[in-house]
Amino acid sequence: MNRIFGITLIVLALAIAVVPQFTDCYSQGSVLTLASGSTQPMKCHWTAQAEIAVGVPLVGVGAMLALSRRKGTAGSLSIMGIVLGAMAIALPFSLIGTCAAPTHLCNTAMKPALTALGSLAIVASLGAMVVARRAKD
Amino acid sequence: MQLIRLALKNIRGSGFRSLAIFLAVMSVAAFLVSITLIIAGAQYSLDSGLKRLGADILVVPEGAETKVETALLMGKPTEVWMPRDNLQKVASIPGVEAASPQIFLASMYNSPCCSVSEMFIVVYDPATDFTLSPWLEKNLGRSLALGEVIGGTYIFVPAGSEYVRLYGYDMTLKGNLESTGTGIDQTLFMALDTAQAMEQVSATAAMEEIYINPDDISAIMVRVAPGVDAHRVAIQIGKDVTGVVPIESPKLFGAFRNQMNGLLWGFFAITVIVWAVAMGLIGLVFSMAANERRREMAVLRALGGTRNFIFRSVLSEAILLALSGAVAGIAVAASSLYLFKDLIAGSLKMPFLFPSIPSFIVLFSAIVALAIVTVTLSALIPALRLSRQELAIAMRE
Repeated sequence: MNRIFGITLIVLALAIAVVPQFTDCYSQGSVLTLASGSTQPMKCHWTAQAEIAVGVPLVGVGAMLALSRRKGTAGSLSIMGIVLGAMAIALPFSLIGTCAAPTHLCNTAMKPALTALGSLAIVASLGAMVVARRAKD
Repeated sequence: MQLIRLALKNIRGSGFRSLAIFLAVMSVAAFLVSITLIIAGAQYSLDSGLKRLGADILVVPEGAETKVETALLMGKPTEVWMPRDNLQKVASIPGVEAASPQIFLASMYNSPCCSVSEMFIVVYDPATDFTLSPWLEKNLGRSLALGEVIGGTYIFVPAGSEYVRLYGYDMTLKGNLESTGTGIDQTLFMALDTAQAMEQVSATAAMEEIYINPDDISAIMVRVAPGVDAHRVAIQIGKDVTGVVPIESPKLFGAFRNQMNGLLWGFFAITVIVWAVAMGLIGLVFSMAANERRREMAVLRALGGTRNFIFRSVLSEAILLALSGAVAGIAVAASSLYLFKDLIAGSLKMPFLFPSIPSFIVLFSAIVALAIVTVTLSALIPALRLSRQELAIAMRE
């Protein structure tokens, strides 16, 4: 069962790291033009970058969960999975944020996709935790 | 209780078969919910938009019907004009209780001073207005002062600023209207005096000057007197005022409604076919399972289980699978639609507003009931066959 949860987490983690790279405003060519004439990516781009930092450790958590035999280890890894899933959701909502315009792709695609993927990562981790606890008893 | 426990054990015991039935019901329920929610959401959005518009008849310049409908439906900025004299002509027609002019302006596309990239600006006349004034009285307790504006849900003050700046003129956003899912959500409403002040400032402070001709208006909102037939008034407006087209409120967005009805029937036909095929397959799976389980059921009969008990245990299994599949399908479809509603509405180029909770509960119950009834019917014949089989023959096989 751990293997199924572990592989699920790996797939979700890869999606968390990759999907924002193609759905932020920078990927669509939208940038801020400063008074000096130079261009700057909008803040959704930094959220997309930060999601890589969430996705990569989550891949590790998934891989270790898939390979772990000890119930205690699986329990601890699932806690990490829950925290990282929550971080994936918190980044576009509060930690960094997305563009102010609700019609931008970062708000219509990236933010909901991260909400769905983060929630699924939390659910998968909770599942792994429940299985680990039951196996202990 | 014993029956449910036995059904659950049977479901767990034949994991692959149960999973196949569960996934089939889930997929069909998710498909049905998605289609229904998209169509119902568009309908709900149109109704909310019409309610927000608040006029019985909308009078627009001849040939500009589609432009105005697109502006109101999708918030696409447009500029259409007709002589202001038309207002008096419309107001004097018998049956017209109130007539108020509106001027449609466009904001600069992707301007750094605008709060959204493409914004539709509507200028109204506070002296005659009957569409926004009730909302303002209820929420502000007064009408808008000079330099004050209200907007749809998508209108906001840019971060780090206290004002919405348009054409070099700073305006205070006094509130947001309820979401309608239509272009009204990205519309900024301002009174005539504010628009004139913005016009003056734009001459010196804006990258692009704006000009508002005092003799021109874009549309006339008409409210007919109580008890008067709006259709007759509309016909009279068409006859008496040249160069204008009266659009009755229920007929607004007519082309879009027709397109939506076509889609609805197309999707309905597809859903019926998909549902019928899925149920046929589920029936087949139950029949195959019934053949495999002949001895199992015979043992159950030998242990004291009645024919009725066997029949009910097979049906309980079907009902549990249908219930869980339908609930999972609805949950997946509804949450996906809720999260991606803006993306879907934008891609389909149609307005969308998530239906109200009571109508969603009705839809939820109807689809669960439909799933349970159809899956139970699919399992009915195999259940009857299993319960009526001869004990001795089944045991000998």
